[in-house]
Amino acid sequence: MESLFLQQVLNGLIIGSLYSLVAIGLTMIFGVMKISNFAQGDFCMMGAYVALFITAWFPGWMGWVGSVLAAAAVVGLLGIVTERLVFRPLLTRWTDIDIIMVSIGLFILLENLAQLLFGATPRMIPDPFGSATVRMGPVSTSVLRVFCFGFSIVTIAVVQIFLNRSRMGVAIRATSQNRFAAQLMGIDINLVYLLTFALGTALAGVGGVLYGTLFAVYPLMGAMPTLKAFVVTILGGMGSIRGAIFGAFILGVAEALGGNYIAMEYKDAIGFAIIMLVLLIRPTGLFGEKEAA
Amino acid sequence: MSERTKKWLCRIIVLLALLFLPQVIKDRYFMHIVVISGIFMILCMSWNLLAGYTGLLNLGHAAFYGIGAYTSALLAIKLGVSPWFGLFAGGLVAAFFGFLLGIPSLRLSGPYLAITTIGFAEILRLVAVNWVELTRGSLGLSGVPLLTPIRLGGWSFKFYLEKDYYYVVLAAVVITFFCIRRLTGSQFGVSLQALRDDEPGARSIGIKTTGYKLAVFTVSAFFAGFAGALFAHFIRLVSPETMALHTTFDILTMTMIGGLGTIAGPILGAVTLTFFSEWLRYLEEVIKVDIRLVVYGFMLILTILFMREGLAGILRRLIERFKGGRPVSKGEDKT
Repeated sequence: MESLFLQQVLNGLIIGSLYSLVAIGLTMIFGVMKISNFAQGDFCMMGAYVALFITAWFPGWMGWVGSVLAAAAVVGLLGIVTERLVFRPLLTRWTDIDIIMVSIGLFILLENLAQLLFGATPRMIPDPFGSATVRMGPVSTSVLRVFCFGFSIVTIAVVQIFLNRSRMGVAIRATSQNRFAAQLMGIDINLVYLLTFALGTALAGVGGVLYGTLFAVYPLMGAMPTLKAFVVTILGGMGSIRGAIFGAFILGVAEALGGNYIAMEYKDAIGFAIIMLVLLIRPTGLFGEKEAA
Repeated sequence: MSERTKKWLCRIIVLLALLFLPQVIKDRYFMHIVVISGIFMILCMSWNLLAGYTGLLNLGHAAFYGIGAYTSALLAIKLGVSPWFGLFAGGLVAAFFGFLLGIPSLRLSGPYLAITTIGFAEILRLVAVNWVELTRGSLGLSGVPLLTPIRLGGWSFKFYLEKDYYYVVLAAVVITFFCIRRLTGSQFGVSLQALRDDEPGARSIGIKTTGYKLAVFTVSAFFAGFAGALFAHFIRLVSPETMALHTTFDILTMTMIGGLGTIAGPILGAVTLTFFSEWLRYLEEVIKVDIRLVVYGFMLILTILFMREGLAGILRRLIERFKGGRPVSKGEDKT
């Protein structure tokens, strides 16, 4: 009984680490640019496809790590293109609704374009560890999952160090806090926007490779990561990176436990139920600051 | 002839033309698409009331549609209630849920509201999938009865062909149109737009934003539920897929392309896209590639970027040019 509980917590933490990768990207983009990007999950999907093609050429874990880096690069570039073509023209005359709807348009476009290009059949990125398992006291899991967990944590740490220590990272955080003040301090806002969007989508691409390796790669796979990432960022407060990380682990564990002890069929509803309750009490999420008028 | 009589004459001519449409076009497939587009008009008009006029981006609109469809279908199948009563029951139950969803939405906006409403629809969809004893799960409720015949004196009107449903849908669309136009043109509608453009400002001049938001959620949900019930008795099958996110995205795309926040937009968008997508289906048969949704997504993006007022805006500008630069009042381009 106790081991089942621990097992579910472990599973939840592993899934939570995936959620946090996608959610950090989403929350950064929202914090800096005030864009709610409903197409975030489609950048995951594109990352997964990049990895699918690369691992087909280079099998083994070297190829897998290489494919993650390639996915980050390719998806980041696509993010830059998207930002230039779709979001930039709107930023001067935005309303929340316009931005959300244009990203929904992007979501519809990208997932169906992918279906057109790659076909609807789900495919798998091969497990670089040949589905080996590892036993840790009362719980066990696959080596792949442990590796994914470690990989997410390292990526999150690198992003945190970049944001906290590098000049550009500080510029991004400054813009997130107050765009106009940042501009007055001589920060090139356009460059910050471009970089934030590239970094945010690249993180989604990395998350997509992990999703694709643990689950399956198919054109419509993006909806799930998008919704989960939004649930996570709203739980933690939109724009807050720490909130996104905590929110992701809370959601992962809550889903694993809820799926096990309440009802498996309603696993995907748990996150929504949680945010509805949280928003009733705190309209800006758990860690969110009161929005400036 | 005064401006007023001209306007009424126009309306009567359009209405007569619409009444005689089934006499001219005998093609059942065509009438089927017309009926479907009519149902989408009601959905788009009700969604536009929330998103366009009040600035509340409801991404769970499909849930109201599904609630209406399930309510009326279940009443008719399990309890033998008349579908005519079911249409209103569907609307009322949806309105009740609209009111409920309105409560958490009072303090929310932007992405927070969008995700809460998506969550609402997703939870209801999961209930519809998993409550198998009541809803038959993903199989859906089949064999929903047709609308029962109406008897007036010795004369009875049956409902089993597309053209019979056409008249019902036409009546529903006209009533919805006038209700919503009345609503948006009134003090109430102006308050809603004030609320959309500047909520604290609206509150400071004494508009009770809370009550307005709840009211608009309830009204919008009623019409969507009504449309859902109508759909159930027309297609005769209700499945959980009616509540899926994609239904809401269809409504959203149609309204945006038609023109968000305009009175004519939802109607233009629903007609244009329903027929356009049928044409694309035909094209897909020929070129063997599924391009319908790719085109939808592309059109949605282009509309927001380059013609924010949609088809209604284009039409208004055409009418203005046609009339020699005379400014056109908001109501005139509706037909």
